[in-house]
Amino acid sequence: MNKTIHMEGCDTGNSMTIKKILKLDFSARNAVKIAMLSTVAFVLMLISFPLAAIFPPFLKLDISDIPALLGGFALGPMAAVLIELIKNLLHIFIRGTMTGGIGELSNFLVGSFYVVPASIIYIINKTRKNAIKGLIVGIISMTVIACFSNYFLVIPLYQKFMPLDQIISSSPLPFVNDIKSFLVFAIAPFNLLKSSIASIVTMLIYKKLSPILHK
Amino acid sequence: MLRDITIGQYYPSDSPIHRLDPRTKLVITFLFIIIIFFVRYYTGYLFILAFLALIVILSGIPVKYILKGLRPLLFIILLTFFINIFFTAGETTLFTLWFIRVTKEGLRQAFFMTLRLVFLVVGTSLLTLTTSPISLTDGIESLLRPLRVIKFPSHELAMMMTIALRFIPTLLEETDKIMKAQMARGADFESGNLIQRAKAMVPLLVPLFVSAFRRADDLAMAMEARCYRGGESRTRMKVLTMGRLDVLAFASIAALIAAVLLNTYL
Repeated sequence: MNKTIHMEGCDTGNSMTIKKILKLDFSARNAVKIAMLSTVAFVLMLISFPLAAIFPPFLKLDISDIPALLGGFALGPMAAVLIELIKNLLHIFIRGTMTGGIGELSNFLVGSFYVVPASIIYIINKTRKNAIKGLIVGIISMTVIACFSNYFLVIPLYQKFMPLDQIISSSPLPFVNDIKSFLVFAIAPFNLLKSSIASIVTMLIYKKLSPILHK
Repeated sequence: MLRDITIGQYYPSDSPIHRLDPRTKLVITFLFIIIIFFVRYYTGYLFILAFLALIVILSGIPVKYILKGLRPLLFIILLTFFINIFFTAGETTLFTLWFIRVTKEGLRQAFFMTLRLVFLVVGTSLLTLTTSPISLTDGIESLLRPLRVIKFPSHELAMMMTIALRFIPTLLEETDKIMKAQMARGADFESGNLIQRAKAMVPLLVPLFVSAFRRADDLAMAMEARCYRGGESRTRMKVLTMGRLDVLAFASIAALIAAVLLNTYL
């Protein structure tokens, strides 16, 4: 069938510069791969499940970061950011936005800060150990950024519709009573959980998929 | 289960609103979202309501259809309404129910916030109701073109989004098929704790990705065979043009902005 050998993403060694890591070549082949991964991400976004027992109902758990991670591992961090961006744009264009775009913006920000560190670390040296290291850094980075973006951007914007008390009281945990405890007991564990699940599943499937990803 | 999800919001028709340039509609929706937050008095909402009513009438979309889109939000809307009543401190008590004190200020606040939410959702969903995802993509490509200066790949982004739009129904069907096939083999996607559920996704995800990549491979080969080479000097079948309608649309959003700002600050 397809006998062309593409060497992208196959060069190894630690001497890669940042510029080289960030570079993304928009050949038709790469562009189509990114488009397909975004499509899968969008489809996975539709099968999300809320965890109403511990978290407020507007935090929905989905595994739509996995395609972006795979794309990041195979094609570099720029591809991962593009997949996150396209996924959210598609969500706004097709499903419409219920939050004036705030929800999508926050998903994009948080998702990017998860996939970018993970894929940079993995690309520098493609070993299993480095993949795990990258994913752990990604999980931490995502959780920290989620707290910051919620504190400075998302919650102030949501506050235009409902008083802060209501956002906080939407968490079913009784001891959540101010914005700091809301961040610590709702936003942080939610993002920790979401990124950990995506990481575990990615580790389980990446090896099986990497031969076709690099074809 | 997945096939039950109605994916698109788009309501196809040939109204003046549908015929507007997608760039016009994107910019106007953005301005509309901002201006909604400048409304401070109920009279300001009259202008917003008039603006939305004008669009709905011109677009010919049944009001029922628009309200149906609000249904998933009904819970949040009601929650916003009641919590605003209960959590707003006020002076004038209207009546007391058990331990809940309903005040005039609380009631006003509740109506105000709820209207803001409803107007925001209706306003933004009018964009997706009257514009197909494909023309929205064309609009975004054109609006982001100035960012080429900082090397933002606007054409590539639009091309990838177009490909994604074409393959969403295909992959949704595929996902559904794989899920059913794995369920027939005893896979369980809907019970167990989180870790079990995450592990249950593996037999779904691997075939899904394999099928997506197989399609990507075919498409890439077709594009290479036809010498696709990116955005430089490409021509397009549908060229976006602004017309008299777009000027009118910009005039009306300008009028709305002026009216709301005058209402708030004078």
